[in-house]
Amino acid sequence: MNGSVKFYQTMKFRRYVKNTIILSILILGSLVLLTPLWWMVSTSLKTPAEIAQHPPAFMPESFQFSNYIEAWQTGPFTRWGLNTLFISVIVTIGSVFVNSFIAYGFAKIRFKGRNTLFVIILATMLIPGFVTLVPQYMLFSKLGWVNTYLPLIVPAFLGSAFFIFLLRQFMLTIPKEFSEAAIMDGASHFKIWWHIMLPLTKPALITVGIFAFNGAWNDLLGPLLYLNDENLYTLQLGLQTFKGSVQVQWHYLMSMSVTILLPTVFLFFIFQRFFMNGANISSGTKG
Amino acid sequence: MKKGFHLGFILLLLCSLVLSACSNNTEAEGKNKDGKVVIDFQTFWGSETRRPVIEKIVDDFNKSQDEIEVKHTFVPWGDIWTKNTAAVAAGNPADVIVNDINTVAHRAENGQSEDLSQYIDEGIKDELYPNLWETVQYKDKFYGVPFTTDTRVLFYNKDAYKEAGLDPEQPPKTWKELEDHAKKLDVKKDGIYERIGFYPTWGSFGAGSWMANADDGKGFFEGNEMYINTPNKVEALKWVAGWHKRLGAKNVQAFQAEFGSGQTNPFISEKVAIWTDIASFYTQIRDTGKDMNFGIAPIPAFKEEGRNWNEGGGFVMEIPKGAKHPKEAATFIEYLASEKAQKYWAQKNYDNVANKKAAESVLKDFTGDEKLVYEQALKNLKDTRFHPAPIDYPDYASRVDPQLEAAITGKSTPEKALQKAENDVKKLKR
Repeated sequence: MNGSVKFYQTMKFRRYVKNTIILSILILGSLVLLTPLWWMVSTSLKTPAEIAQHPPAFMPESFQFSNYIEAWQTGPFTRWGLNTLFISVIVTIGSVFVNSFIAYGFAKIRFKGRNTLFVIILATMLIPGFVTLVPQYMLFSKLGWVNTYLPLIVPAFLGSAFFIFLLRQFMLTIPKEFSEAAIMDGASHFKIWWHIMLPLTKPALITVGIFAFNGAWNDLLGPLLYLNDENLYTLQLGLQTFKGSVQVQWHYLMSMSVTILLPTVFLFFIFQRFFMNGANISSGTKG
Repeated sequence: MKKGFHLGFILLLLCSLVLSACSNNTEAEGKNKDGKVVIDFQTFWGSETRRPVIEKIVDDFNKSQDEIEVKHTFVPWGDIWTKNTAAVAAGNPADVIVNDINTVAHRAENGQSEDLSQYIDEGIKDELYPNLWETVQYKDKFYGVPFTTDTRVLFYNKDAYKEAGLDPEQPPKTWKELEDHAKKLDVKKDGIYERIGFYPTWGSFGAGSWMANADDGKGFFEGNEMYINTPNKVEALKWVAGWHKRLGAKNVQAFQAEFGSGQTNPFISEKVAIWTDIASFYTQIRDTGKDMNFGIAPIPAFKEEGRNWNEGGGFVMEIPKGAKHPKEAATFIEYLASEKAQKYWAQKNYDNVANKKAAESVLKDFTGDEKLVYEQALKNLKDTRFHPAPIDYPDYASRVDPQLEAAITGKSTPEKALQKAENDVKKLKR
């Protein structure tokens, strides 16, 4: 080592500077992304008078944790929470297993018209939900399913184009040899799917699970259309009680929004590792 | 493992069966165990303040007779009508629903609501404000019964008036005075507005409302007749555009961005000194607890001899087409329009109600600012016009609004904009 090399000329220093810059950009970026979230939390802890204040304060004067309790008590939120949980869990189970089974067919079984059928399935993603809204409602109404959870749950057991696509792409990356070896051993497709594909596609399944849970948990339109009995309502419908035609109860709306957000945030953190893996597949950077 | 999986599926199927079975029981015949007809009544009144009021009214009705039981269900604001559209199409709607007062004729025309003249005596109209009644009529029949209404008034900050050397007891009577007052109320520091006296399209009186105010209360349509490009409307649009030019696009946008979320109100925050809003805006001022020193006045008239024309909105009760129990539903609607129910609603929610006697008698119970504002709102009703969307041009606003915007922001002239708006709307004719 030459004694005349200054600290700022060393690799260590350069790495240090590089890391500092990257870290600052990341921190700054996260702050920008976190601001709305903070705003929500901060509003949820203010009094209505403070929310109406101008200029708005970033920090509440005193933390009104009672908003959370009061908001919860304005309606049967416990009941609505359990309803939402029930629907979300069943939808998640359905989405994970059914879509994976369908995807297995498209990825691993050769049959006539497979690609055409797959394209048709993908094409259903192009139809905006609002176009099918009334016909679908009429169908479920004829079946006598209005005011039950069936219209919210059953479709999850009939496959979703996006999830099928996502899982199929993931399955295509799994070498044929696994399934071929199993076939040699006399395994049925159902067995191959259950014993080989499901364990190997875990990251993708968790991704589908989180998407499905999130979708069902945050769904407003489905419960809105199909449920007529307030006892069957979900949290998203309950949240709307704070929004009137003229006035909005911001403090309650925000505190309840934070509460409703928590389960999905926890879910995300618990499964984050898998989720990131899975999200990569859907954006096509892997496989 | 396989066993567990199959078990899971069987459990799910069972759950579904149980769920569907439950639903069938509750809907059987639409009668409850006492043999009463159950009426499904859907509203968007689910807040802490409104829900108890409507449920008390429902409860009173249920106790007042023993043939009908009304079940109230909250459905979110705005979405309630999406749901209703789907439910009517499927032949499975609620029995009574709250709907928008300005689109009654459209639903009648499209066969989405029941003709109430089959079930309710037309004499009911004598108890209600006549201009509200007009909105529910379609081809000599009526398809709804008015419940509440709203009317626009001018709120002004009396402290700001004193500060600007204006008489706080003399609110502007004409557009000219409004402009003079506003200029005096502006507070500008280093080129930035700290307070804006007034800006016409903030609050709840849009460019279209000012144009109707200038045009003898005529909206863009009277029936199916078009009044878009009239001399008075051109002049009014010029006036609105003038404010935008005087204050500067940047300042207007900055203010709008600051208050766009609706969490804070610029009038209550004392950043704007004169504000147009519906009368129940008073409750927002009251609930901030700041004891604001405000005054109230009708919307200024276009010219000195003109009237204080303003626009109204509101809600009606309707029976969606295909409802299972229209006769019983109609009985309940009559109760909702009665003096007793209407007075209770007005008292608790501070809304303008459709029943004349109820409105007048509730005024006697109010005191202080509450009384002042409500009195003005009642007086206002005689100058309140409703501008229902015309049957032949249901979507006219989508053609008019962009042109108004273009004229206000100086991208077009008012003359050209209204000419173009009229031509565009003509192409929409059904």
